[in-house]
Amino acid sequence: MGVVMPLPTERKSKIKSFSKADSTDLALFVRTSEEDITGWNRQRIVDALLRETFVDPDTADRISLDVEKTIQNGAVKTVTGPLIRELVNAKLLELGLEDARRMHTRLGMPLYDVNQLLVQHNKENANVPHGPEATNLTLAEGIKKEYALLHVFSDDVADAHLKGDLHLHDLGFIDRPYCSGQSLEYIKKFGLNLPHGLSMAKPAKHAEVLLAHMVKFAAALQSHFAGAIGWDAINLFYAPYLEELSDRDVKQLAQMLIFEFSQQAVARGGQAIFSDINIYWEVPKHFENVPAIGPGGEYTGKTYGEYEKQAQRFAWALFEVYKEGDALGKPFFFPKPLVHITEKLFKTEGHMDFLNHICDVAADKGNTYFVFDRGETAKISECCRLSFKLEASDLEDAKTPWRMRYSALQNVTINLPRLAYRAEGDDTQIFSLITEQIKLAVKAHAQKKDFIGKLLAMGEGGPLSLLAMKLDGEEYLRLERCSYLIGMVGLNEMVKVHIGQELHESDEAMKFGLKIIAHMNIVCNKMNEKNGMKFVLEQTPAESTAYRFAKLDMAHFPKMAKKVVQGDLEKGEIYYTNSTLYHVGSTMNPISRVEREGLFHPLIEAGAITHVWLGEAYPDKGALTDFVIKTFRHTQNDQIAFSPEFTCCLDCGKTSRGLSQNCSYCKSEHVDGITRITGYFTKLSSWNKGKLGELRERYRNEKRFVEKAV
Amino acid sequence: MTKIKGFIETSFIDWPGKVCAVIFLPGCNFRCPFCHNHPLLQNQDKLQSFLLSDILARLNKFKQWLDGICVSGGEPTLAPDLPDILLKIRSAGFKVKLDTNGSRPQVLANLFDQELLDMVAMDVKAPLEQAKYNQCAGVMVDLDLIRQSIALIKNSGIDHEFRMTVLPKFHSRQDIMLWVDNLSSGSSLKLQNFNPDDPLDPTLHQESGFSPEEFVELTKSIGLC
Repeated sequence: MGVVMPLPTERKSKIKSFSKADSTDLALFVRTSEEDITGWNRQRIVDALLRETFVDPDTADRISLDVEKTIQNGAVKTVTGPLIRELVNAKLLELGLEDARRMHTRLGMPLYDVNQLLVQHNKENANVPHGPEATNLTLAEGIKKEYALLHVFSDDVADAHLKGDLHLHDLGFIDRPYCSGQSLEYIKKFGLNLPHGLSMAKPAKHAEVLLAHMVKFAAALQSHFAGAIGWDAINLFYAPYLEELSDRDVKQLAQMLIFEFSQQAVARGGQAIFSDINIYWEVPKHFENVPAIGPGGEYTGKTYGEYEKQAQRFAWALFEVYKEGDALGKPFFFPKPLVHITEKLFKTEGHMDFLNHICDVAADKGNTYFVFDRGETAKISECCRLSFKLEASDLEDAKTPWRMRYSALQNVTINLPRLAYRAEGDDTQIFSLITEQIKLAVKAHAQKKDFIGKLLAMGEGGPLSLLAMKLDGEEYLRLERCSYLIGMVGLNEMVKVHIGQELHESDEAMKFGLKIIAHMNIVCNKMNEKNGMKFVLEQTPAESTAYRFAKLDMAHFPKMAKKVVQGDLEKGEIYYTNSTLYHVGSTMNPISRVEREGLFHPLIEAGAITHVWLGEAYPDKGALTDFVIKTFRHTQNDQIAFSPEFTCCLDCGKTSRGLSQNCSYCKSEHVDGITRITGYFTKLSSWNKGKLGELRERYRNEKRFVEKAV
Repeated sequence: MTKIKGFIETSFIDWPGKVCAVIFLPGCNFRCPFCHNHPLLQNQDKLQSFLLSDILARLNKFKQWLDGICVSGGEPTLAPDLPDILLKIRSAGFKVKLDTNGSRPQVLANLFDQELLDMVAMDVKAPLEQAKYNQCAGVMVDLDLIRQSIALIKNSGIDHEFRMTVLPKFHSRQDIMLWVDNLSSGSSLKLQNFNPDDPLDPTLHQESGFSPEEFVELTKSIGLC
């Protein structure tokens, strides 16, 4: 860490050896972007201007002459393509041809930045390790991000992003939708049959082959989506393949599945597939009477309702594997298991044993996510908290489950505290500013939809051929059914600016917070009707956005921001509180947190979560089971997870509970911490500064004896 | 009235299978070198105090969530008004769990007689062997009293658990087997692995607990998990 390779001070260029061999008008060589060296040819400037812009031929000619003169005056022997382009751009600027300059602009990175990038670790996303694949990803993302801001979005949207009024997530993945949730039935029925695939595989006949197909399909999807790849009711859809398998073989399969997904860090950008598996103890009502597909893609003659026991066997085995952890006993980071807690669960035999089993994993390793589907609600969950509520048309799809697939096309997050700075305490103003920001987010969504729509329309010959494939008659990405996410960061700080208290400090603050989110929800609904697109609120995971907004506000609104940003100003470890969460450091017990944060959840349709930070405490699994059941019964909370903390020693390899400076076994200081960053577990060494600031302040519900104030 | 010197509104740790609140009473007649609650014995005057009435009023909001209140310490049986405290908790509609080191069987007997307890957890610090017990408790312990408490708890007919914090420096495998033998069947037993952060005896900060594998293997081998 921290090593920066020196830039070569003098470049011994090959071209020197033949610098006299050519004698054109200008004894000058050009390093072109096609990796060759050619002699100077002024006409190439004219050609590029005519090809790329609307400049007329005479002006183009005049510009090329001017540039030639500048280069002659410079008395250099070699120039590069990018330099010539910038000189041309400078002329366009002088002539006031701003549109032409933009069209003619070049995307890329300064040498210094590339050097930094190849050597330093990028911490924007803790799920990206450091390595050649990761830097490829970052470089590509850099260019696509510039492209998006210049070419896909209008200036007002791009400027709002750059100023930090809002955040357009995953700009580096501008040519992909945001995330995808699907059913295993698609590959069970159609096999692995991808456009331009080197070979086509028929539907799997064996459980292991199905797993191989699933992993490859997930990897293919990862390269077509920016974020999470989720799988619905995974244990149920595997069930028809498990009847012949012994318990040992089922456990083996569970182990393979979890290791495959947790070790996929060899994939794109060296980034593990952000994978989620939805698990049910019961057979969900909407699948009970659906004919089951089994080996070879054939109907087995039974319904899924008849596979309850097999599905349960697999669910149990998956959690046994989570409980054991990896070879060193560390928790698995991926795939994230999301267990649905429903009314039917409580009517299903063995549910208490299962709840204790998954709470044992939650207490020990923290993996389990508890997703609450109350009443008739059915959902598929993924990403850090995103969920898709199944509507009438989706439940119709459930009869042919391979058709079930859900995508959010993009995520735009609004910087709430900034709106409070601007409103200067005026209620009318604050609500109207929120409306305006949502309208801008809607505009951004429409622009992305338009762009993806064009790529998708190119069909199987276009760049999104995988998403355009029509194995079941419809395109894999059903653009008209996508959701568009609108997220928020810093409700807590917004409320503090506006009424002087944080959410946990008074009922008045809490009520005002609820009003804000209810307003956002209403505006989204109105926008749906107006635009025919589905805009839904989501609690943004905001792994880096919470830090970015805080930093930008410290730059643009320093006086006001200084009073409300969280974290350590001196160290620069600052952040805004995520989404609608309470201040992470407020000494609020888990009951109040789950209850009160849960009040927001019904307003946030696309997913919300409450984190219960456990610190080093090792809770009793029965107590957690009790707490989970009560959360289901007594609150409106959508999803909870318990987050323990670990220290793993890089010398002796042992993992211990709690975050410490040194290994509690060999006392080595060469340690790394592990805990949940936002919606997933990762190593502390990969965290950005804002998140580190947050970590120091998280209230862990641990025993403390408070010294009297003197 | 005895001052309450520590309070956790929600604990997932202190009552097996239940979500509970915990109150801590100050003072202790033991000086276990690995103790983590030592502010309660050494600096108790510096600690903020809580009124039981305030605590009960606060917890009233969480009644449908909390299964009970755990009274811990320190050593709560040293508090002369312990029965009164427990009665107040009971009257407020909460179940009661008591943590004790078992050094005052007569107090326990009285609490059982008054039927004030729903669960008892007793720390049995070591196998019932004098030198070992003194080492782990940090004071001279009358083992007869400990034996009486164990018998009382076993015969009380209420939920109970015997616990021991183990660290390799003090507890050999034989010690642990012997401990299990002493407490034998019919009772729930639990080992807790030593945590070297901030123990009462600062020299133990350099010690390690059992490794995770050893600890799991240990608890398994004596049938505790």
